Amino acid sequence: MTKSKEVVESTPAPKIHSSAWLLILLGGGAVGFYVLFLLLSFLLKLAPEPIGSRADLFIEGARTTLNLTLVSGVLGLLVGVLVGLAKLSKKIWLRYPADFFIWLLRGTPLLVQILFAYYALPMLVPSLRLEEFSACVIALALNVGAYNAEVIRAGIQAIHKGQTEASLSLGLTKFQTLRFVVLPQALLIVVPPLVNNIVALLKDSSLASAIGLLELTLAGNRISAETFLPVPVLTTVAIVYLSLTTSVTIFTHFLERRLK
Amino acid sequence: MNQDVIVDARNIHKSYGDFEALKGVSLSVEKGEVLVILGPSGSGKSTFIRTLNGLEEFQKGEIVIDKVSLGSEKNLCAVRREVGMVFQSFNLFPHLTVMQNIALAPQKVRGLSRAEADKIAYELLDRVGIREQSHKYPAELSGGQQQRVAIARALAMQPKVMLFDEPTSALDPEMISEVLDVMKELAKSGMTMLVVTHEMGFAREVADRIVFFDSGQIVEIATPEKFFNNPTHERSKLFLSQILHR
Repeated sequence: MTKSKEVVESTPAPKIHSSAWLLILLGGGAVGFYVLFLLLSFLLKLAPEPIGSRADLFIEGARTTLNLTLVSGVLGLLVGVLVGLAKLSKKIWLRYPADFFIWLLRGTPLLVQILFAYYALPMLVPSLRLEEFSACVIALALNVGAYNAEVIRAGIQAIHKGQTEASLSLGLTKFQTLRFVVLPQALLIVVPPLVNNIVALLKDSSLASAIGLLELTLAGNRISAETFLPVPVLTTVAIVYLSLTTSVTIFTHFLERRLK
Repeated sequence: MNQDVIVDARNIHKSYGDFEALKGVSLSVEKGEVLVILGPSGSGKSTFIRTLNGLEEFQKGEIVIDKVSLGSEKNLCAVRREVGMVFQSFNLFPHLTVMQNIALAPQKVRGLSRAEADKIAYELLDRVGIREQSHKYPAELSGGQQQRVAIARALAMQPKVMLFDEPTSALDPEMISEVLDVMKELAKSGMTMLVVTHEMGFAREVADRIVFFDSGQIVEIATPEKFFNNPTHERSKLFLSQILHR
């Protein structure tokens, strides 16, 4: 009698899994960013000259910056996980290409990578005609992916070997061990350094201005050139960047606390 | 070959670089036997039981567990499903509750439903005497409780053989007996067990045979009575005099 009661009482406790929390928080984060964006738009329109009348251009730029960061960030995470795992593989046909990829992407300037993706890639692969945004996403995603790969590799290596041994000796396959035992623990460790990379990505996306993609920096640069008022215009650009990076950081602090 | 042999290791050689950890170890274990493996540190006893479920590779020799040879990757998984292992440092999964630790492998490996796996987990928690801790995380438990959960986790796969790699060496003294009691109960239930330990009382009381390792070899295999009272080999005598006159 008491037995069955205990069963009923104690099962629901661990039901909300950290992965569910992660989804809830990511959803909440997305909504939060949208609200922040609306607030920024509103404030920019209220701002005195020369900002207020050109708020639309700022807003368009900021939107592109956010989109660049979001798309490249998600792709970069994927690249990071795959390359990070490949780098830990015992198979040299996985490990060596991963090493090469990281060496190449971290050893060359991001600006060169963006220029390469936009100007050189279509020449090498004629069928590939990339518009500015896609070219930037490719360069940014691969670049941040290379940095993420090292972070994820370190995170996985930080998990004690005994965890893998325990899991394998229970009969779980290598993949199941990674999926259910190692990655859930490693991802928790790597959240802060990954966020670092995202913040860096957000700022680095300003290099997209070099190929004429109208993101926040190019928008500011144009307005500044047009009005001859670099001080208020570039200050505004900086403030928008700051508010975006700060909210990413705050969001992640929250995420980290929740996951622990 | 005896029908009842469940673990059969033949001439196992293993080296790390120049260091030979195992120099031709052969041992066969029958169903229901409890073997306690003794020996000085670095003698290869832990390395040996870790080869039995493929956690350590070996260069020469053959291991057959319940008629399956530990050769290919596929066999390796099959053998690991039948062989449970308990580690010195528990190695519970810290991100999972006690229940989830125990229910993970039955669900993912045996393909049981969550309800079925939970049922097994509760039964095992009763058996090791910590049902009330089921919803806690490992970090909230004492060392002795953690090791009992680790035993339950291994038992949840209904293994045919249980390996214990110094299961009480990381425990505070007052917690050793609660873990040994669980192991004694398990031995009485007929489980085949290979236990690397320094607990001489346990060895005397529970072991069917004592296996004494020294420098990568099995030096002596004897009943506890014979081994503790009248060991044959010089190195066994030396080992016993060292631990008994501490």
